[in-house]
Amino acid sequence: MGRSSIVPKRESPAVVDHRRAAEAPAGTGVSGRGRGISGRSRLLSAWIDRYFSVLLVLPAVILIVLLSAYPLVYSLWVNVVNYDFQIPGHDFVGWQNFKDVVVDPVAATALINTIVLSSAVVALELVLGLLLAVAMVRPFRGRGIVMPIVIMPLFMSPAIVGQFWGLLLQRPFGPTDYVLSRLLGHPVTISWLTEAPWNYIAVVLADAWQWTPFMFVILLAGFTSISHELYEAGQLDGASPWHTFFRISLPLVAPILLLAVAFRLLDAVKLFDIIYIMTGGGPGTNTYTAAFYLYEKGFQEFHISQATAGSWIFLLLTIPVISVLVRRLLRPETA
Amino acid sequence: MSDGSGRDDREFHKGLSEEVDAWLRGEGSRRTFLTRLAQLIGGTALVGPAAALLSPDRASAAGPVNVELAPPDTPLGKAQAAAVEASTKGPTDGSAYRAVQAAKKLKGATLNVTYESGLQALEPKNYSGPQWQALTGIPQNVIELPHPDQYSKPIAEHIANSGAYDILDIEPAWIPSLANGGVIQPIDEFVGTYMNPADLDDYHPLYKFLPTFKGKRWGVFDDGDELCLYYRKDVIGDPKLQQAYKAKYGQALRVPQSWDEYSQVAQFITDQLAPNVYGTANFRKAGSPGNQFAFVQEFRANGGVFFDPQTMKAQLNSPAGLKTFQQMIAQNKASVPGNNDLDAVAQWVAWLQGKVAMIYSWPPTGRMSENYAQRSKSINFVPKSEIAGKVGYAPMPGGHGEMASGYVKSLAAGSKNAEAAYLFMQWVTSPPVSLARVMLPYTLRDPYRLSHYKSPLYRSLWPAAAEYLVTLNNSSNEAVLDMIMPGWQDYALSVDRMCTAVWAGQDPKAALQRAAGEWDAVTRKLGVEKQRDAYQQFMKLPGAYPDHTIATMGLSVKLT
Amino acid sequence: MGKAGMARPGEGGAGLHRARGWELVRFLYIGGFLLFLLLPLYWMVITSIKPVSDFLAVPPVVFPSEPTIVHYTAALYSYRGMQGLINSLIIASATTVLSVAVGTLMAYSLARFHTGGQHLAFWVLSQRFLPGIAVVLPVFLLYRTVGLNDTHTGMILIYTVFSLPFSVWTMYAYFRQMPVELENAARVDGCSRWQVLKMIAVPLAAPGIVTAAVFAFIYAWTEFFFALILTSRTAFTLPSIFRSFLGFQGAQYGESSALTVISLVPSIALGLLVQRHLVRGLTLGALHE
Repeated sequence: MGRSSIVPKRESPAVVDHRRAAEAPAGTGVSGRGRGISGRSRLLSAWIDRYFSVLLVLPAVILIVLLSAYPLVYSLWVNVVNYDFQIPGHDFVGWQNFKDVVVDPVAATALINTIVLSSAVVALELVLGLLLAVAMVRPFRGRGIVMPIVIMPLFMSPAIVGQFWGLLLQRPFGPTDYVLSRLLGHPVTISWLTEAPWNYIAVVLADAWQWTPFMFVILLAGFTSISHELYEAGQLDGASPWHTFFRISLPLVAPILLLAVAFRLLDAVKLFDIIYIMTGGGPGTNTYTAAFYLYEKGFQEFHISQATAGSWIFLLLTIPVISVLVRRLLRPETA
Repeated sequence: MSDGSGRDDREFHKGLSEEVDAWLRGEGSRRTFLTRLAQLIGGTALVGPAAALLSPDRASAAGPVNVELAPPDTPLGKAQAAAVEASTKGPTDGSAYRAVQAAKKLKGATLNVTYESGLQALEPKNYSGPQWQALTGIPQNVIELPHPDQYSKPIAEHIANSGAYDILDIEPAWIPSLANGGVIQPIDEFVGTYMNPADLDDYHPLYKFLPTFKGKRWGVFDDGDELCLYYRKDVIGDPKLQQAYKAKYGQALRVPQSWDEYSQVAQFITDQLAPNVYGTANFRKAGSPGNQFAFVQEFRANGGVFFDPQTMKAQLNSPAGLKTFQQMIAQNKASVPGNNDLDAVAQWVAWLQGKVAMIYSWPPTGRMSENYAQRSKSINFVPKSEIAGKVGYAPMPGGHGEMASGYVKSLAAGSKNAEAAYLFMQWVTSPPVSLARVMLPYTLRDPYRLSHYKSPLYRSLWPAAAEYLVTLNNSSNEAVLDMIMPGWQDYALSVDRMCTAVWAGQDPKAALQRAAGEWDAVTRKLGVEKQRDAYQQFMKLPGAYPDHTIATMGLSVKLT
Repeated sequence: MGKAGMARPGEGGAGLHRARGWELVRFLYIGGFLLFLLLPLYWMVITSIKPVSDFLAVPPVVFPSEPTIVHYTAALYSYRGMQGLINSLIIASATTVLSVAVGTLMAYSLARFHTGGQHLAFWVLSQRFLPGIAVVLPVFLLYRTVGLNDTHTGMILIYTVFSLPFSVWTMYAYFRQMPVELENAARVDGCSRWQVLKMIAVPLAAPGIVTAAVFAFIYAWTEFFFALILTSRTAFTLPSIFRSFLGFQGAQYGESSALTVISLVPSIALGLLVQRHLVRGLTLGALHE
């Protein structure tokens, strides 16, 4: 891995610049503005050099402290007072807000919905994405066109995805029931957005529509990186294609698969946009997810302390998974 | 992963380097090709907005410049002309005139006004906003919000201290919560300075006191949302149907006088005439504007009370509540397919296409049924009426229709243009201007002043218009109100969720129990003592319960 | 590099046999999936150009006989789509610049100097997974004390913080793969660290910067939750306009569809640009193609 194979054959302007600078007398710096820098700026320059690594991370750290860490700390105070628009003052109430959340039956519904829906969408996306990755991993004519189409949903706003899925499924003017009636031969009168269990299916479909490509892309990358030699070896040994797939390919992509699932799961538990646009949490509170419940409590009913307490509970529930995933990402060696 | 990954690594780096090279050289590469392709695709999608930018429609849609007035020889044209005259020439003690004169001195302000999104917002965008600007030079921004957000967004802005809104369109039932929360400010001083007191007396008694709370005035009432029954005279009066009904039930087929009779008639019609005509159609979709209105209307008709006045425990889970759900479920059964997804607009569409025999709904139904509303391009989502001339008007079965929602124009507490905002509120609800507004084809604002009900111009809009206005007036005499006390929106949303859960199949008793529990939690949070006092105050309002209406208090307005 | 007769990695097709039957299944699946992807989009685009009377038609109108652009006009002007578009452009562009700049600086520090070790990296990366609701409640309250509610600045700041993990990690991966030799040579020749960063590292990492920029832009362009809560009539972004289309929806199908089409254009265009580096961005650099 000599240097020659890394440096571009034709040199980039930046590199050319450097070479030119290297030929200049030392100490003038690449800017070559003239001999010698003033004493002041040399001191400044030296100071910057010494603390360079820290200075570089400062802007990011400041931003994150101001807009993430500090608000979270502030919300710890909000948790234990009575911050409610209809009630004047912020009296200390201790654990009351947490109690309110824990005994609220809607909170329990929201939590269950969150777990069920996020598991369902991730599972569906995994299966569909896996099949698609397997189907697309061998090149074929037109694959270059299909790829961009398949990844398009990843760049859309989830609110928009909810919007046009709602358009498709709503009654009385959406085409879905009409088309289904024609296909199946008998009248279909499913209220996709207001009838259980169809509203769950609608939400899962809309989410899967958007995020299956996520699984697909990652799994495709995983499959592509498996060495062909391993297949050859397997086939020489007389293994059947199924065997090769299940005993060789799948285990090799398993770490990547798990990574994708963890990523997707952590995003899926925050499900809000699609629910807000498509079902509004309904019918009743059937499709309340944790995020939607907290939004209703905080920004529709303005029981702010209760919402903050609820979101801390939610945060604490997801922290273990976050920790595991982030540590995994930080390990120097990836699959 | 030894070999394979090493080779891949090198290849990747090589590819990366080449790509970097190409990029730095500014060469065409695969990326550029893709960019071009994307631009091409994107370009075609941009044709729409680009053409829109260039289209001649832009001027009218772009914002108020000219007021589009009706031809001056039409009733509407005359009403609009009268409004302008009242604003510019007088009578000089009239609210309209005073408002305009005072507002002219406040040029430079811009008003931010909230409205319900969709059809409701057509009126300020097309008429009252431009007209006011033409008269006073003060423009306005119309902020469209879904119905529940008309409550929550002003609160959010208030907490955020933003001063974003000046005039809020709110349900009168929200006034206690918003007043207690400091979101709106009282207008007594302005009223004393600028308003003609006689104009206050022009309100129907049901609406006159609605904006009052804790002895102060918090807004001006602006929309008589009295629910009535609309029915197809040709269906109910059809001789063959009448015969069959008599044969089956031994009673005459007539406009239902009770909720049980309503379900019975509706089911009969559906059985006989489906799929051409169904007995009824209902707005059952959550938040549009919501099931709470229909529910509390029928709940009280069945003898239900909201709270135990002593303990303030919610009384939803009672025989009255169960009966209400039985009746509403029977109505759903007798309705058009897709009933549970209908919002108020979709309900109108089904009605106007002639598919439904009876509906209970807001007053625009009458105007739309006679093809009056559909004259305007702005309301073009609503289809042409197939049933013009065939529609009859009646009070609600049982006689006590709900004044469902309604609108009050309120002054936001953080408004930076309070005086200009108040003057617009006074002008827009003054008798001549409000008459022109409720006569607009595309408006969803409904008559609320005695001068509206009596207006010869309005009565000339279609043959049965006089009957329509009299029905609205008489219904208002007997009307029941939304529960006007702090926390109403929380209670209402709870009822809305309860209803949609039942439409989706939940057991009514369980749903009622859950909603009652939610109500008790709200009461506890706001303070049982305070809520008890507020509830006592509410019960004194004419319209609190069927036994305590304008009519029972002897305040009815008699009109012909 | 390729050894003759040996196919490139991945050509084994995950080991599945190349029988005719499987080929058919394979293409059926791909075709079916494409249909699943494209049908809702088609319906939405068609709805945006249908005249209003077609909304109510049964059977549903597959292609309107009289397409119209009136919904685009209404969406842009009556529903203030134009202002939303401009706000989104301003906020997304500023977020991109800020996020990439700050992120690149930090990424370089992490890559070359391992600043803060595991802990700093952990902290920054975990921001990606923080539930928005936990942050937005206190931020909403805090913004009002500094008057940042419903301002472009307020949105830019919060979007920057939440797109930093993307930016940092994309640039981190790029810097790590770049050989240090060039930079060392420059140091030896007397360049200050800042000059090394500015003149060598950053230009060489240009593709990474492009990738990070695109991801940051797309994040700010499509974000809904924070926009819903923290904006109102001044700084509202394009996605947050969709809140007005709840409630009485019937009258607004055309406008909401038109607005959807408008907001999709930059998303798709940029997505195509960056598709090669998709995997790295999506998994914060844990994998690369």
